[in-house]
Amino acid sequence: MNYMPGTASLIQDIDKKHLVLLRDGRTLIGFLRSIDQFANLVLHQTVERIHVGKKYGDIPRGIFVVRGENVVLLGEIDLEKESDTPLQQVSIEEILEEQRVEQQARQESEKLKVQALKERGLAVPRADTLDEY
Amino acid sequence: QSLEDCPLDEDEDAFQALGEEDEDIDQFNDDTFGAGAVDDDWQEAHERLAELEDKAGLSREPDGPVGNDGDVLGDPEDALAERLTRLVIDSELEDPAIMQAVHTRDPPQQPGGLNSSIWDSSAMLRRIRGPLLAQDMPSVSVLDYALPQRPPQARDEERDPSERALPRRSSSPIIGSPPVRAVPIGTPPKQAAIPNFNQQILCPKPVHIRATMQQRYPTPYGERMSPNQLCNVPNSSLLGHPFPHSVSPVLTHLQRAQLLGGAQVKLLPAGRMSPSQFARVSGLVGSPLPSVNPKLLQGRVGQMMSPAGGFRAFFGAPPAPPPSQLPHPPGPGSHLQNLRWVLSLSQHPARSPRPWLTIPALPRPQPQMFRPDTTHLHPQHRRLLHQRQQQNRNQHRSLNGSGGDRGGHRSSHQEQIRKDPYANLMLQREKDWVSKIQMMQLQSTDPYLDDYYYQNYFQKLEKLAATEEVHGDGPKKERTKLITPQVAKLEHTYKPVQFEGSLGKLTVSSVNNPRKMIDAVVTSRSEDDETKEKQVRDKRRQTLVTIEKTYSLLLDVEDYERRYLLSLEGERPALMGERKQKICDMYDNLRGKAPGQDRPSDDHFMQIMCIRKGKRLVARILPFLAPEQAADVLMATARNLPFLIKKDAQDEVLPCLLRPFSHVLYHLPLGTVTSLVQQLTNLPQSASAPTNLHLTAVLQNKFGLSLLYLVLSRGEELQSSDTNAELMQDNQWTELMLMATREFLRIPQGALAKPVSIPSNLISLFSRYVDQQKLNLLETKL
Repeated sequence: MNYMPGTASLIQDIDKKHLVLLRDGRTLIGFLRSIDQFANLVLHQTVERIHVGKKYGDIPRGIFVVRGENVVLLGEIDLEKESDTPLQQVSIEEILEEQRVEQQARQESEKLKVQALKERGLAVPRADTLDEY
Repeated sequence: QSLEDCPLDEDEDAFQALGEEDEDIDQFNDDTFGAGAVDDDWQEAHERLAELEDKAGLSREPDGPVGNDGDVLGDPEDALAERLTRLVIDSELEDPAIMQAVHTRDPPQQPGGLNSSIWDSSAMLRRIRGPLLAQDMPSVSVLDYALPQRPPQARDEERDPSERALPRRSSSPIIGSPPVRAVPIGTPPKQAAIPNFNQQILCPKPVHIRATMQQRYPTPYGERMSPNQLCNVPNSSLLGHPFPHSVSPVLTHLQRAQLLGGAQVKLLPAGRMSPSQFARVSGLVGSPLPSVNPKLLQGRVGQMMSPAGGFRAFFGAPPAPPPSQLPHPPGPGSHLQNLRWVLSLSQHPARSPRPWLTIPALPRPQPQMFRPDTTHLHPQHRRLLHQRQQQNRNQHRSLNGSGGDRGGHRSSHQEQIRKDPYANLMLQREKDWVSKIQMMQLQSTDPYLDDYYYQNYFQKLEKLAATEEVHGDGPKKERTKLITPQVAKLEHTYKPVQFEGSLGKLTVSSVNNPRKMIDAVVTSRSEDDETKEKQVRDKRRQTLVTIEKTYSLLLDVEDYERRYLLSLEGERPALMGERKQKICDMYDNLRGKAPGQDRPSDDHFMQIMCIRKGKRLVARILPFLAPEQAADVLMATARNLPFLIKKDAQDEVLPCLLRPFSHVLYHLPLGTVTSLVQQLTNLPQSASAPTNLHLTAVLQNKFGLSLLYLVLSRGEELQSSDTNAELMQDNQWTELMLMATREFLRIPQGALAKPVSIPSNLISLFSRYVDQQKLNLLETKL
């Protein structure tokens, strides 16, 4: 049954595996079980996938209820093509470690930048506090 | 208790009233818990049921008291429902915003479906579903019992308790359940000749049947049906049939009966069938089809099953891949597989209990592998049983992803059953609910106004498709189109709502009737001590306002064509008149209304042309203006071109005027063209002026040069084409040309801008006035 052809209605996506990108930068993968008019999502058997470079790690999370406004985008995952990826899956500990390292590196470079700007008397660019990603 | 404690009324009457109340209370107690209760030993009944559940894996039926309560409450609920309906109908509250609030205040009491409030149906659903929660309907279709490995024993066991269970359900008032006079579910069908109603399918593989798809939306959506539905309703041409021809007339008859009886069938993917559905369904089989022979039903279903391709087409997918919109579509293979058996749901049963037709899935009298002994069961009943079995079986299977099941994988029959026990957590009803909300948001009184770009886009698409179709004679690709609900434009003023019996006027302010908070009055400034900057700013603002007003006029004028097509014959002259008037107004706006006098100053026009939007506006208006008016505009532009060029340095929007200007030029006579050239080149010049700044500026600007070329080429055209042109003008033109050519020769090459296009006849133009050597020079320059 074609619900609302020509529109972006999520009804057709129900019970399918989706990748959801949240505003805080998290990537969730799960089966979309339920929606509502605000695009609040209920994700089942959700896995949070952390990407660092060419590696990724999955953290199983269970059931997620996501408030619609926090979703940046979502898309259906083709189960056949899902495994066809150049990325390498690693363990959770490893990916978390990698993420920490990456975060550290980023913070340090940020610090240097801010320092350099301050030295030159320039303003520090304020990041948009609403979206951390 | 509180009444008894109340020391106020010592009257005899009051005492008596109290006494009566006590009696009532006692009666109620008795009915509920005591001897008067329907089921004396609810505990026993409960245990019996619990045993059954353990045995057959059935979920528990609602407890006795609950059922009883249901019965007891049945009447009061109905009465309440009626009262509420009356309240709604009689309500003088016209303000939908307030009405919504009123309705949503008491969702628990309303059996649902009475109002357009979106909350209640879902809430009630939850309650209904509650008891049957364990009965997760699998993703498979109803007809999957076709599998031979179905254990007959479990079925036998289940049959009895289910049989007992269902009749109770049918009599308890669930939302919108039909009145008790309807045929209850447990009744065996009148004709025993319906063999293996539910189990039989037309082909060995699981079949999904799609019934007719007259979707029922609540009234705001009016009679609007999607093209799917429209195509489908009476159109027997789409239905072929695999059966012998004797069945075919039956189809029409049944269809007619169906339609006349007002039965509507709504499309639903098979999934959970909540008991409320069955309750409703039960009442229906009785009414619309008493006269219909089961064979008719058979034939009907058979008919329905065959045009799988046709049906599929309704959903906008070409026959080959099964539509991926179905949550759990079966595999490819037989075209029959794509049909799905559906059940309909009314959203507003209380309002108009329309009989819903349930079209039983099946009947080909084939030797069956299924249980022949369930023949005495009513079709829906049997279906429910099989679903439960299916669900039980599925629970033992491993979880499989249900996503990505389009195309590809399905090679075997087994895999077709998507093993996803968590599928369909979201009920069909809930999906419809969300869909309904989304459709409500699309309601509009004038889609062309509210949703202009979408409408235009779709029109373009359709035109494309139509042209493609004309060229190629392939099968028509049915593209499903979303029909947005259109609400009739109601012109009525909102009277502020007043509550009766209130002292004074309590006006509820709502979205439609807002309260005036601020009294904003526009005062125009006329102080003398306004600074120059302010004056300039005001003037600019005035110009901007003029541009906006003219733009609105322009949009209206551009829209007239469409309105013309939509309007009636009688209205058309009026429309044309309006259009003309608007065009005049636009022109006046452009040039500045000069009452009585000739248009001496270009000032107003220049102001507009200094603004980017103004230039675009002029470009769009030009096609609508009369030739003289357009020429006038052109002249004004040419006259002041250097000024405009200077102002346009940042925007560079002037080239957008080239196209409309060239169209205008096409209609101009030579005289006008001559004067145009004069204006553009500022020739002849007075002797004292050393350099022709005007011309230089024009030549150095892309737009200016292009325009000049255009004008020259037009002049050349006219010259060459019409040799009998008036000599006077000829002279003027010739002189002008001589001077122009001299100028052209004089300017250094680097000073020339790059024009948009160089008309081909320029060379021939110049060749008249200069000799060969100079001509070569010119050629190199251009």
